[in-house]
Amino acid sequence: MFDVIVRGGLVVDGSGTPGFRGDVGIKDGRIAAVGKVEGEARTIVEAGGRVVAPGFIDPHTHFDVQLLWDGAARPALEHGVTCIVPGNCSLSLAPIRAPDRQRVVGMFQQIEEMPPEAFTTAFDWNWEDFAGYRAAIEKSLSINVAPLVGHSVIRLWVMGPASQERAATSEEITAMQALLRECLDAGAVGLSTSFVDVDENGRPVPSRFAQFEELDALSAVLGEYGRMLQVVPEFYATDITIARIDQLAELSLKHNIPTTFSPLFDTMAVPDNATRAIARVEEHFARGARVWPQMQTRPIDISFSLLRPSLFFARWPRWVRVLRQPLDARETALRDPETVAKLIADTGPDGGEHSMGRLIARGGDACPPELVGKTLSEIAKIRGQAPAQALIDLSLENGLDVAFLSASQGHQMTDRIGPMLANDLVHIGASDGGAHLSSFSTYGDTGYLFSEFVRKAGAMSLEKAVAKITGETADIWGLKDRGRLQPGLAADVVVFDPEHIGRGEERPAFDMPGDGMRYVRSAEGIDTVLVNGEVAYTAGAYTDARAGKVCV
Amino acid sequence: MSEAVIVSAEIVAGHDGSAELLVRLRHPNGVEGPIVLDEETGLKLMRNCGATHVDDLAGQSWRRILEEN
Amino acid sequence: MSLSRQRRFVTPGPDETVEELALRAMPDDPVPEAVDRIKSWNLHIFAMRRPPGLLLGSDVVFVEPPLS
Repeated sequence: MFDVIVRGGLVVDGSGTPGFRGDVGIKDGRIAAVGKVEGEARTIVEAGGRVVAPGFIDPHTHFDVQLLWDGAARPALEHGVTCIVPGNCSLSLAPIRAPDRQRVVGMFQQIEEMPPEAFTTAFDWNWEDFAGYRAAIEKSLSINVAPLVGHSVIRLWVMGPASQERAATSEEITAMQALLRECLDAGAVGLSTSFVDVDENGRPVPSRFAQFEELDALSAVLGEYGRMLQVVPEFYATDITIARIDQLAELSLKHNIPTTFSPLFDTMAVPDNATRAIARVEEHFARGARVWPQMQTRPIDISFSLLRPSLFFARWPRWVRVLRQPLDARETALRDPETVAKLIADTGPDGGEHSMGRLIARGGDACPPELVGKTLSEIAKIRGQAPAQALIDLSLENGLDVAFLSASQGHQMTDRIGPMLANDLVHIGASDGGAHLSSFSTYGDTGYLFSEFVRKAGAMSLEKAVAKITGETADIWGLKDRGRLQPGLAADVVVFDPEHIGRGEERPAFDMPGDGMRYVRSAEGIDTVLVNGEVAYTAGAYTDARAGKVCV
Repeated sequence: MSEAVIVSAEIVAGHDGSAELLVRLRHPNGVEGPIVLDEETGLKLMRNCGATHVDDLAGQSWRRILEEN
Repeated sequence: MSLSRQRRFVTPGPDETVEELALRAMPDDPVPEAVDRIKSWNLHIFAMRRPPGLLLGSDVVFVEPPLS
């Protein structure tokens, strides 16, 4: 008697080998049989016409805080993600001494854009060490979690405020090593560090004050456990990225550890950025180092409002001059007919139709709901105005708090990115799930992999795409119990429609503590998600299952 | 040419949804390299150079990037 | 397998100033000129750092211009 049989689907098992028609039998949270499965089960999941795959693994998220009130890391789970890696970019929610909490909250808010209520009302912060954080999230997990511990908080624990002022002494480095060991013993999947992040005051986060010798010493501890070092390097600066790759390779070889850097972007502004970085990675892999570049699937959008000056307007200096003024003066200028006439003229003889018409009005702020999702061109037609005039007037009518989106402004060339994502040495990830909440949605990247790079572009096979975000990811991170539909392994399973899986439309949601807003995408083409053998999501709804665990 | 000069600039999408300014410098050895400036620094550079368009930054010294307001 | 030649860099020592770093990395050059060149090769550090001029132990500081 099985607990669950997923019957009659195309089994794509995460190994990259061709899919086959078959069943998956599950017992006691583990995969018990794959193939033609005979027998009975308490639950039958019919999967005819669907793909049955291992649950997806998202290796770059910032769900650290959200997990304390939402054990599903919504909407990650409904997109088929059954395992997330929080704690990236040097920041985790432990170990942190109570007096240091506010300092770390500022850093988190800078990255996540989480409302302050998330830290003051949404959970009871009653732990300091990593084991305490683990216990706090494990109470109600419905998704699996492989948490990184952040270098910045380790540094802060040992050095206090000096962690953002100076290099560590040898005694302090020894203390950090001991603390890292404690975190790894408590279930951390590795260490994250950052070379770019700043706190809410613009000051570099603690990890950036570390000498290479400190990172080397911490990597030695990772070597004792064979665990991951994750870093976030400088963006679009290829020479620096290559320098970081060289540093990671040195640490990987010396301590026999896997390393990963994220994100790696493609951009036509620096067309050889990603290809040079990948070429360097290939050189290091040939020497035995493991340096995994993480590349996201989704393109990058630019978002702005007239509340503050944006470089989006850099081609029109008069706009920049107007928007740079204090709020009152700015609004006065935007109401002055003579000024507005010049602003509109600057955007072209068509009143901005060509240069602005494709901007999309976003929800989540003061934008009238009926206009959310419409292009500025459509809004202009409704209002009987030129697009530039409509942008100004709509903004003025709503306290300038109307956000516009310029979609796919970077990392958007599918024909260039597809082959890179398919490269065996490129790690698909870098979703940033749970971060940048009020700027854009960080969910559904796995669906986009299938809709854009498998179905539309044919850049890789279905089996390859599944393997990239399941079996290969589990191998890279040393998650020995995950990533494949194989008897004995944990039963993390996603059933999806290969013809319809996608990332979903971006929409505002007000489900953060304090009615805080974030942009989300609801799943498309996902039928059922099982976590450790229990149905966690099916038929468009989450269940009460709480079978997730810290899975390191 | 005895020092680095800006040869071009363009707006690029930052990883966090902001618009950033990617400035390309030609160094005295003839090789070009990029530097990405955040929104504040990019706008400051344009203002300091009196640039009315990002294309107007071409020919400016690299030192203009370090100038304060 | 040998690695292809890439741009040379150093990382700052504890409390090291840009002048001290220039002297260490480019000992044959007059310090003011060396500092000037280092700044022009490392605008990722000198253009946006808060507070300005702060060198960090984790910084990648190039000691030559981009390679062809």
